[in-house]
Amino acid sequence: MKPRALIMPRDKGAGSLDVVIAVMAFLASLALGAMLIAERAAATWQSGLAGRLTVQVLPPENSAIPLQAQIEAALRVLRGTSGIAHAAIVPEQETLDLVKPWLGSDTMVRELPLPRLLDATVAPGAEVDLPKLRQRLSAAAPDSLLDDHGRWLDRLRGLTRGIIWSAYGVLALIALATAATVSFATRAGLEAHKEIVELLHQMGAHSTFIARAFEWHYFLAALVAGAIGAALAACLYLLGSGLELAGIEAVPFLPPLTLHATELGWLLMVPVAASWIALLTARLSILRVLSRIY
Amino acid sequence: MVRFENVGMRYGEGREVLRDVTFTLDPGSFTFLTGPSGAGKSTLLKLIYLAEAPSGGSISMFGVDLAKTGRPNFPALRRRIGVVFQDFRLFDHLSAFDNVAMPLRIAGRDAVSYRRDVEELLSWVGLADRLTALPATLSGGEQQRIAIARAVVARPDLLLADEPTGNVDPDMGQRLIRLFEELNKLGTTVLIATHDRSLIESARAREMRLVGGRLVALGSPAA
Repeated sequence: MKPRALIMPRDKGAGSLDVVIAVMAFLASLALGAMLIAERAAATWQSGLAGRLTVQVLPPENSAIPLQAQIEAALRVLRGTSGIAHAAIVPEQETLDLVKPWLGSDTMVRELPLPRLLDATVAPGAEVDLPKLRQRLSAAAPDSLLDDHGRWLDRLRGLTRGIIWSAYGVLALIALATAATVSFATRAGLEAHKEIVELLHQMGAHSTFIARAFEWHYFLAALVAGAIGAALAACLYLLGSGLELAGIEAVPFLPPLTLHATELGWLLMVPVAASWIALLTARLSILRVLSRIY
Repeated sequence: MVRFENVGMRYGEGREVLRDVTFTLDPGSFTFLTGPSGAGKSTLLKLIYLAEAPSGGSISMFGVDLAKTGRPNFPALRRRIGVVFQDFRLFDHLSAFDNVAMPLRIAGRDAVSYRRDVEELLSWVGLADRLTALPATLSGGEQQRIAIARAVVARPDLLLADEPTGNVDPDMGQRLIRLFEELNKLGTTVLIATHDRSLIESARAREMRLVGGRLVALGSPAA
């Protein structure tokens, strides 16, 4: 059977609205993707650092105990601490490798008073009394420093929260801009189809009937345009994956700008949200205008 | 059915288009509304089909005082009125079938239930072969017949028509008046605004005459 004809014709200038919604959806998808990448990176860094302790032993300046003796003493303290599953000295070459990106590998570097590192792993579920450990370490190796990465992890959590809230802010702004644009387009559409609206009104159509006839266009347009915008953003993230596979770092020091398959699924939310924002905005705008007609 | 008491109407700060108009349309009556151009016929019709609010007096429709009932009740009242506009006011983007079906869609009928009704009515007005035609592809007379079919398809309690035979040939004009009379016999109250004396004389109906916004004559059906 022939489907029922659409009550309202599509606006002639509706193409511009489609472009705006597609751009908004693209930006929203980028913001959503950034949020997902930040969350994943934070989780990865946190799981990599959680349960790890590092002891730095600085080359002694005035201390009577030589460096090597302090290193061995610190290692003994670590191994003798309840809750620590494993402790080892980080080979000197590894330390040099760590500073290589900043200081290079010149022979001069070997002569620098670099601290020696000891790496310790906390047993799963165990808790280490850090103040007591710190006390014991400074007694055994006065030039040692204990780092439980707590400060770094706190900063990391702060950064992630910042990125996530910024993304929420961007998403809210995009939603607001989309709603304002649709509201403007709806009023223009109502003006363009004033005669149709008045005729339907005169024929006894309820405002909700007329609103439905209108909002359907905006819902569909936003769904399609939103899908296009989200698809473009997905392509960008897939390009990021391609670069990663090719071993090219998109932005140095930042996690790869890629989304996993399950994360890409979240982008489907963008056209859905765009279409509902458009529908609700169109409905409210239309009902407000219709309420002024006798 | 329709009761006007001392109704006045002016648009904004303009002159009074209707003054002190009082009349009653009884249920099942058939009335012609006549008068020279600018007499206020179209404004009177607009007040009846609830497109405008009067600036004075009171109007009752189907026993409901419009000033007392709330606007949320207007759509239900409007659905009981069929209107044939002088300029047809068809939906340009919809086919003849969809134009005629619109009042039934608004009333919430599903497509399966109204298909036959709409096709029969379009057949009756001689447009059985133009179901899918858009208004722009139809002649003025064909468009007017669609406008009439649309006005009567939902079997309204009150049928208003503004110069309904202005664009059709005399034969079709008579045929349309017969359709209005048939609907009238079925209980529909009919009010037709027209200049066409032959139309008025061919139907046994009373005449309401407006001049300068005043109701000057309320005649009984011609013998």
